[in-house]
Amino acid sequence: MTHWLFIFLVFFTDLNAQSISEQIVKINIPDITVQSGKSSVIIINVEVKKGYHIQANKVNDEFLIPTTLEITKDKSIEQGEQVFPAAKKFKLEGTNDFLNVYDGSFEIRIPFKTTQRIQKYKSYLQAKLRYQACNFKSCLFPKTIDFIIPLAIININADKN
Amino acid sequence: MKYCISTVIVLFLSVLFAFAQEDQYLIGKKAPSFTLKDIDGKVYSLEQMKGKYVVIHFAATWCPFCNAEAPNLEELYKGYHNKNVQVFIVDVKEDKGLVEKSLSRFNFSFPVLLDVNGEVSASYAPEGVQPDLARHEVPLASNLILDKEGNIRFYSLLNSVSFDAKLTKLKQKLDELLQMK
Repeated sequence: MTHWLFIFLVFFTDLNAQSISEQIVKINIPDITVQSGKSSVIIINVEVKKGYHIQANKVNDEFLIPTTLEITKDKSIEQGEQVFPAAKKFKLEGTNDFLNVYDGSFEIRIPFKTTQRIQKYKSYLQAKLRYQACNFKSCLFPKTIDFIIPLAIININADKN
Repeated sequence: MKYCISTVIVLFLSVLFAFAQEDQYLIGKKAPSFTLKDIDGKVYSLEQMKGKYVVIHFAATWCPFCNAEAPNLEELYKGYHNKNVQVFIVDVKEDKGLVEKSLSRFNFSFPVLLDVNGEVSASYAPEGVQPDLARHEVPLASNLILDKEGNIRFYSLLNSVSFDAKLTKLKQKLDELLQMK
């Protein structure tokens, strides 16, 4: 029964996923519901406008602006290492150089585990996605999108009682 | 069948013409004047450059295309500064410290000017081009040649599909202008 309740909650909260659109980038943010004491993964979906690319998380020139995600610390969870997708290679015509980029749609995964057993907990994690976009005609100034990730920790045993 | 081939040829030529036209923005127009400081604080104005050919490259430290062109701009300067050609990089809306740190690796022999609020860059944005962008963003990674009277004789906006990192077209135009004098 408790498993069904948990599955219901996860499914229900996923329906509430929100998205934030900016000129070039759209971020799809899930509502996260996790059982207290358990681990889970926050999956942020990023959509880059057609025709554009953004620099990848690992760039091959220290002065380029890598795509980064910053999530403020929250007392209830311990964040693991962020996982960015493999970059695509973008050839700089007329040179032997390549840029590491993302285009289309990709996911950033942030594994985490709850740090304490609590009855019920609701939080809004503050997040910032920073990126620098180009298309074939222009490179745009770096931008930062601020957004929040709703997080709910539930204690199924407590709910049952 | 003949009609189809003719249509395809006309379409192809139209596309070619459209691309060729891209570089015609502001050609023959007086270059917007500016007075800017370089990273050492020395003041440069376009007025002072009268009687010289001037090459301008709009850049930002994070711009991959600008960085790819940078060594070739230094090479261009070395090859042409004795031919009455002045080269400038105009860095757009960045902190002096960052520009200094980033560009020290290129060891430029020519001035790097700081367009701190982006006004100069915005003044070089051709009207109607990329209207969805902030005006100071439009000229980033572009190259211009101004003649001895300060008229724009060459203007190439970024086109990463046919990106000319080695500045071949710019040098070609510069040679052409130098031969005409």
